[in-house]
Order: sequence, then C-alpha cells, then structure tokens
Amino acid sequence: MSKIGVFTCWCGENIARTVDVDEVAKRVAGFPGVVCSLNYKYMCSDPGQAMVREKIASEKLDGIVVASCSPHMHLKTFRKAAQTAGLNPYLVEMANIREQCSWVHHDKPSATAKAIDIIRLSVAKVRNDVPLRPIQVPVTRRALVIGGGVAGIQAALDIADAGHEVVMVEREPSIGGKMAGLSETFPTLDCSQCILTPRMVEVGQHPRIKLYSYSEVEAVDGFVGNFKIKIRQKARYVDVSKCTGCGDCWSVCPLKKNPSEFDYGMGMRPAIYIPFPQAVPARPVIDKKVCAKLIRNGCGLCEKKCKAGAIDFKDEDRVVEESVGCIVVATGYKLYNIAKEQPKASLAGYGEYGYGKYKDVIDSLQFERLISASGPTGGVFKRPSDGAIPKNVVFISCVGSRDNAKGMPYCSKICCMYTAKHTMLYKHKVHDGQAHVFYMDIRAGGKGYDEFVRRAIEQDGARYYRGRVSKITQENGKLIVRGADTLAGTPVEIEADLVVLASAMRPADGVEELAQKLNIGYDEFGFLMESHPKLRPVETNTGGVFIAGACQAPKDIPEAVAQASAAASKVQVMLAADELTREPEIAAINEQTCAACYTCLHTCPYHAIERAEVRTGRGVFIKNTARVNAGLCMGCGTCVSVCPSKSADLQGFSEQQIYAMVESLV
Amino acid sequence: MSDDSTRDGTMTENKGFEPKIVAYVCNWCTYLGADLAGTTRLEYPPNVRIIRLPCTGRIDFNLIVKGFEIGADAVLVSGCHPGDCHYTAGNYHARRRWILFRELLDTLGFDLRRIHFTWISAAEGKKWQQVITEMTEQTRQLGPYTDLYANGSAQDSANDLPSGPPTPFEFKTLPAEGALRESCRKLLADGTVKVVIGYGQRGPAILTRAEDAGRLVWNNRCVSNLTTYLKRKEIKALGKPAVVVKPCDEKSLVVLEKESQLDRKNIHVIGMACEGVGEPKCTFCTARTPRFADETLGEAAGPASLADPPPNRFAALMAMAPAERMAFWAKQFDRCVKCYACRQVCPMCYCERCIADKNRPIAIDPAPSAKGNFAWQIARAFHLAARCVGCGECSRACPAGIDLALLNIALHKAAQVNFGYDAGVDPAAEPVVGSYALQDKEDFIG
Repeated sequence: MSKIGVFTCWCGENIARTVDVDEVAKRVAGFPGVVCSLNYKYMCSDPGQAMVREKIASEKLDGIVVASCSPHMHLKTFRKAAQTAGLNPYLVEMANIREQCSWVHHDKPSATAKAIDIIRLSVAKVRNDVPLRPIQVPVTRRALVIGGGVAGIQAALDIADAGHEVVMVEREPSIGGKMAGLSETFPTLDCSQCILTPRMVEVGQHPRIKLYSYSEVEAVDGFVGNFKIKIRQKARYVDVSKCTGCGDCWSVCPLKKNPSEFDYGMGMRPAIYIPFPQAVPARPVIDKKVCAKLIRNGCGLCEKKCKAGAIDFKDEDRVVEESVGCIVVATGYKLYNIAKEQPKASLAGYGEYGYGKYKDVIDSLQFERLISASGPTGGVFKRPSDGAIPKNVVFISCVGSRDNAKGMPYCSKICCMYTAKHTMLYKHKVHDGQAHVFYMDIRAGGKGYDEFVRRAIEQDGARYYRGRVSKITQENGKLIVRGADTLAGTPVEIEADLVVLASAMRPADGVEELAQKLNIGYDEFGFLMESHPKLRPVETNTGGVFIAGACQAPKDIPEAVAQASAAASKVQVMLAADELTREPEIAAINEQTCAACYTCLHTCPYHAIERAEVRTGRGVFIKNTARVNAGLCMGCGTCVSVCPSKSADLQGFSEQQIYAMVESLV
Repeated sequence: MSDDSTRDGTMTENKGFEPKIVAYVCNWCTYLGADLAGTTRLEYPPNVRIIRLPCTGRIDFNLIVKGFEIGADAVLVSGCHPGDCHYTAGNYHARRRWILFRELLDTLGFDLRRIHFTWISAAEGKKWQQVITEMTEQTRQLGPYTDLYANGSAQDSANDLPSGPPTPFEFKTLPAEGALRESCRKLLADGTVKVVIGYGQRGPAILTRAEDAGRLVWNNRCVSNLTTYLKRKEIKALGKPAVVVKPCDEKSLVVLEKESQLDRKNIHVIGMACEGVGEPKCTFCTARTPRFADETLGEAAGPASLADPPPNRFAALMAMAPAERMAFWAKQFDRCVKCYACRQVCPMCYCERCIADKNRPIAIDPAPSAKGNFAWQIARAFHLAARCVGCGECSRACPAGIDLALLNIALHKAAQVNFGYDAGVDPAAEPVVGSYALQDKEDFIG
C-alpha cells in the first residue's frame, strides 16, 4: 500500500503538551508510503473526522493511521469514519501516543521520539493491512434444549414464545426434573408442583416445542448456527401417538413392587408406569428390566387391556436427527450418593451416618417425597422403616459439601435453606415433633432467606446446633445421633426417629460425556464451565452453546430460572437473523503448505480447527489439511504460534504485519 | 538457571546508554494495563516500544528472537494472569512454550536477564509502570546487547567439548541378517509391501524387487534412522512400504503417527532387536526390543555396555558458564553453511514448506551469517521440542560437524522434567505443545 494518511491528534493539550505534534507530523510525512500527514486539535471531533474523511477522498488514501489515544477508545470511531468515506474499515490503524506516550512521559524530546516510533510501527502495520469483510454465517433458526427440568422448561418456553422452534430432549420419561418431586419451595412455601405443572403442560402443548422425552443426545456435529444433533429415542414399548394416557395398563400390571425412581425408592411403581400423575407427556413407559413379557414372553396383560392398541413390545431405540442453530444445556444435578460405591475413592461416603444401612437415614430429596402431599405416603409423614410418625427428626447439613476429604470443597448453596424449610414442613405435619439441625454455618443470602431461617427457629422451634455429627447408631429402634454443639461447647446426643442428610449437589450423571460431545469445558467436579465467570455467565467457549441451571454450579430455583432466561435471551440474539455477523480478524490456513500435523487443532481453545482434505475440482484427493471454521474462530492466534511452517495466519494481525512492525524498529 | 554474574561486561556503568525494549503484549490485559498507567499518569522511562497482539498465545518464539535481531536490548512478553485469558487458554499454551523456550535459550548460553515474562492485568497500571521502570534500569546496567549478533562472530578462544578417544570399533554382522533378508524377500514377493526401506552396504537400501533382498544388511553399523525416508514423496509414490527399525527409531513412528503423518496400517514395520550400534546414545539406551513392530527379528542380548563410555557432552556443555556456552555455540555456528542437511535428515521435519524458506515475511534470516545461523538453529531445535526422539541424525549429517543434537537433548530433558513427557514412548500421551496444565510452572513469570 502506498497512499497512507497519518492524522496526529493533539487531544487538546493532552498529547500536545509533551509531544511536539508539528515535529511528529513533519517527520512522519517522510515515512515510506505516507502521502499526507496532518495534525489537528481534536481528531475525534466532528471537524476532525470530517478532515479524515475529506483526505481519504481527495488524496485517494488506501490506508490511514490515526495517532491519538488507545485503539480501545476510538478505533471503532475512525473505522466508521473511514467506511463512510469509502475506505475499508480494516485499513485503519491507531497509534496510541496518549495513554502509552504523552501521559506517561514528561521529557518532550524523548516523548516526541517515542511518538514517532509508535506511528512508525502503525504505518508499517497499515501498509500490510488487507481489506477484510465481516463474516456471515448462516443460522438455522431453531434451538435445542437439553434437559427438561425447571431451567430447561424456562429456556424452552422463552425461546419458543419469542417465535423460534425448540427441540427439547429429556432423558426421563417425563419432563419436570428435580423440581417436580419437591413438596414445597423456600422461602414462600408454595407447592412446587402447583407452580411447575402449568409450565410443563405449556411445554407439552406449545406449537413450537418438539419434545423428545425418554431420549438422549447421541451425537453433536456442526458449529454455531448449524448444529446437527442425533437424538436417541429409547424404546418405550408404548406408541405415544396412539396412547391416550388412560391408565388402564398400569392399573392392570401385576408387577407393582418396583422402587420408583421418581420417589427415590420411597415408593413403588408397576413395570409399566408414568413417573408421577402430572407427567408430561402423560404416556407410560415399560421398564424392560422387570416386564415379564419382555423378559420371558409372559404376562402381556397391558397389551390385552389397552383399547388404543398402543403397547408395542417390539419397540426399539430409534435415532433421529434434528438441525438447530443454538443449544442450551440444562442438565441439572443429582445428590451426592452417600452410600453407593463411588467412581473415585475420595468420594466414598459417610459410613458413620449409616445411610443405606439404617432405613430411617434418608437424604433430603427422599424427605421431599415423604413429606409431599403427592408422595408415596399420600402426605402423611411416616418413616420408611415401620411407618411410625417420627417425633424427633435430626437434619444434618453439609454432608459432602465443603468437605475437602470427599473432594467436594464447594458449598452446595441450597442446603441451608431447604433444611430450614424441611424443619418447618415437618413441624406443620407433626405438631408435637421436634426438629434438630446440625450445621456448619447458615448461609442464607437472598431475598427473604434469612428471615425464613429465623422463622424456622423462632416460630417453628427448630433446634440448631452448630457442629458436626460424629456417628449415628441404632439402639432399640431409635437412631442415636452423637454430635457436638460447638457454640455451647458440649457434646450432644439425640435419640432420633429419622435422620435427614443434606448431601452435596453434584452434576447429573453423564454430563462429562455430554460436554465432550458439545466440546464445552467442565471443572474438576463436572460442573460445566461458563465462558467468563462474570461477564459471560451463560455462554460457553463453544459458540452457540449456552448453559443454564445447576449443571453450571449448585443453585436454587430462582437462580436457575433467571439463568435459563438469560441463556434464552442469548439464543434469541443469535436467532434474530438468518445470518450471524462475525469480526473478520480470525485465523486462516494456507492449505497448500499445511503439513496436516494438526498441532493447531489440539491447541485451539475454541475447537475451531477441523481436519479437511484438499481435492481437485473433480474430487481427486490431493492432501490433508487443517481448516479454520470461521463460525467458531475467535481470533486469538494461538494456532499461528504453534504452526511450524506458519501455514496458519491471523487476518488483521498477520505474520507479515507483525514482522513489518518489529522490523520498523531497527 | 546458572549464575550469570560472571558474564563479561555486565553490571558495569554504561553512561548515556538508553536501552531499546520491545514489548509484546496481549490486547486484553497488558495493553489495557499500559493504558491504565496512562490514564492514571504513572510515569515510566520512554524506552519501551509496544507491539499489540491479540493474545499471549499468539506470541511466538520467532518474535522474541526477531526482537533481539532488530537491536532490542531486552524483550518483554506480557499477558493476562492465569485464568483471565480473554480466549480462556491462550496464556496457558504460551506459558508452556516459554518454559521450553527458556531452556533452549539457556542451553545456548543466552542471557536470560534480557528476556522478561510477566502477567499484567488491565487493572495493574501500577505494575506495568514498575515492570518497565525496573526492566529499563536493569537493562541500562547490563549495557547494550551484543552477544548474539553484533559480536556474533566466532571467538577462537571459545571452549570445545570433550569428544573422547575414538571408540574401538569391531565390525560384526549380526545373526538376524539372514532372517531379515528372507522376511523382506517374502514381503516383496507376495506383494504385502511394494518397497522395503532397509540398510544396505553403504547407506540405505530402497528395494522394490524380491530378488534384491540379498542387498540388505544387518550389522553393528546400522546407525541411521530410516523412518525419515517414509516422508519422501518419491518413496510414498512407490506404494506400501516396509521399514526396518531399531527400537529407538521406532519412537519416531509413534510421533509421526500422532502427528497424522503416517497411517500405521499402511506401513509394515520390521523391528530389529538391538544391542546397540556403538553410538554415544546407545550407552544410555534401554530400548532393546521393538514394541510396536509388525514383526520382530533377532534377539537382543542384554545392553551392550561400553567398557569406556564416551564423555557426556551435554553435561559438559551445561557445566560451562552461560557466556562460555554462547561463545561455544557462536564458534560452532560459525561453521554452519545453511545446507539444511539437519533438516532433510530429520524424520520429524516434514513441512511442505519450511519456515526457513518462507519469504513473506522472512522470519528466519536466510543468510549463513551469525544472525541467520542462530535464528535457524533456534527454530530447528524449538520445532523439535518434545518431538525429537533423539536419533542424533542431525549431528551425524552435519557436514560442519556441529553437534546439533545437544540442543535437542536440552529440550528433551526440559519436556521430561517439566511435563513428564518422553517423545515417542507413549502413543496415548497428550503432546506437550498443544496441551497445557494449570499447574505448569511459572516461577520465571513476574
């Protein structure tokens, strides 16, 4: 490029006080390629910009340098000005002679010399600039929501209400997630199902939501705006299109004694079942592990009874494909399983609490089912072992959470609140009962939260002991809970009828595999990683994939819902147009010289590099190469650094430009 | 790192000398930190010239070398603190490369006080001021940078490394030779492979006809690593090859496969059990039996320990003071004629267009001058970081007799010590360049 204009700004006195702007303009005019060098009091002002525009036109400039403030301040301003004057905006460079020169040096001659050097750098760069055009990526204006809990439901409804189609995948037979199993919610004590069920029905009936229940994401292909999703619909053995949900099949099923997943084993269900009465879709599935027909070709009563002819014992898993532009991951959480064998030795549970050994030691989700009006006991609070009404209940918080030895140093955040809620629900059911709580700290940050805990203690008389429980044993049908009250400095021993463990929140099973399919990050605990903890809390590092709810970190319902709406609004921004516009300052690979070692592919933080082949026009294979996916590349340039032959290059910061800059400093 | 205080001309007053400092900074943290220093009017010396790049991940060792080539007296590389990278992981990748690159520079005897790495966030205007002020002051004390280029001409006084007396060598044909010929004859006769790459009487034997199998030899002079021929276009054109490898050569196949350079299914590997071929590297070698070969011939007697092991040249090199090492290399590289035999013979050098041949921009000065030779050897060695399997072909091929493998040994050791990585040993191990760990060391980053 040979016709460069340099515009040196005085910034009032900010620059002119320590940099001799006349001297700068004079010296710069002699740089190779510079045909016009001017200075002006305020280059960013309207007359200043007009001057730039006028010179671009009159001098037919093919590149400009504005020597003024930081590019973070005004690069956009001058790019716009250049564009108005008909110059490609990417042929504009800034020389930062204010923040990095005049403001930090007092000696005029050396500041002036430095300013000239800084402009020299920028002129060297602009001479090697090439015009760039913003990249347009076509967008499939549909979204996938993975997980049908409260976060997934919120996200799906928000996106669908905004006018976009939504595909929802839920691996359980019904949507609703953990919230559908809760009795009442803090801090308002409104019935969980009463507020959730209408939303579930809305999802089920929404004209723009396509629900795949009892299905899982099998594979994810493509990139932002253009994902291809393979969904495995697990064999349900019930034809959903024929079934009316009348219930004849599950009432006739003779195999009624199977532990209900929805009740966390506190209740029983038949072999053909819907998880709970308000299930969406209200269509049963057959548990192939217990159904007599499927195991040994016996029974078959449900098939005979079904008037709609919806039972299909020959059903098989089906894989369907859906195209979407964005993905919201809302896979939620599970509770730390205290008793069962753990994947890591460090997670091995609290044997001293006797969970799994004593029937009356349960976890908090089991408690929710026992106390729920729609639970297995029909709202009568009975303990699992003998059905007696427990008069003394001990709640233990932080079981697993904040325990480094169990590898879960984080706080599960909601347990303090729901434990307070549990004591209240219990007191409201068993008026002469006494709740005892062992806690480490009470963390009740949130609107109305601390007041709620105070209510549990002051109105409903829950006894709080600050301390840990060391052991639980069983004597004469009672659970002897031995712990400490560290505030009183005394040991505490309670004869309890029931013990409830507030165990830690962990990400749902299989989330790591899902994250790998989606190319998104997860932390050491398996919680999915947001792109930036403060400024990009629902984005991930893979373009077009967002996260919401407890899959990201432990959180309560209001937070999960807020995050889901945030993710939905990000999706709406992306789906607002047929094409996404992206900055063109991204990497490109010279496919002729690429040796296909794929070091860049391993390095790229955005998985924006893929394996590709160079073929002739007739499709004859020539060679392998790496290729940049313009839809994913964010332009960090890490690939360029690791490329041994420098076949990768970064537009806007090309090798040629950087070397020209360095060499201008000789 | 070694003690640098012995370096000549250091820590003396250089009156009136104003150093030139080149700073490569990332756009999102350090550049904004420098802006903040301006906004809050924190004064610092005007010696620094800032080159803004998107991310520390983009800051390449070539650029650091280039900085010194254009006459910088010190170079600063600075970016976001760990965890703060705008691109999430660019700084982690960069940190890992710097760990290796510093080891290479140290082996060359480079004065590491002239190259600074820092993390400076957008909020640390104060830190930027401090870093630049201290760096400028320190560089003023050190004086102008002349080591590599200005005075780069060789000094005859420079030390040399011990090479030891020539090892007594007794030629012997090894018993597996017959089996090798027979096996290759069969492979060619039944069409399993189209070409056999083996050892001949005077160098490699590339056979395409079964009746030529008698030309193959297997003796204790079969030193070279034949896998390098697999990358040659003219050999690829012949069809499926069989290649004769020693257990040590086999490692290069592992690396090449990891880098997608060969399809292991389409190569027949004839592994030779080996008891050493009298090279210095054989003294330390523990690989006696090939691990991944399609067929293994011969039996290795226990390791052939040399009665009088050759001197450890690498240890001798690192025992020198840095300035002596620099003088040593300057003298060595003075002989380099840029014939690129080191590149041609290396099984790991397979780029379609070598960066040394690229002319827009010229990253590596093509002239066989001190500048150009250092730039080339730095690039060659660093491209082999955590990839070199230590076959030593570069040293053997060098017509000027420069022991280039010493640089590779330095990087090999660095990869072992810092990342527990041995190139070519574990096919499943994550490559060092291309991955990172949160706990990678950063004691050298300010």
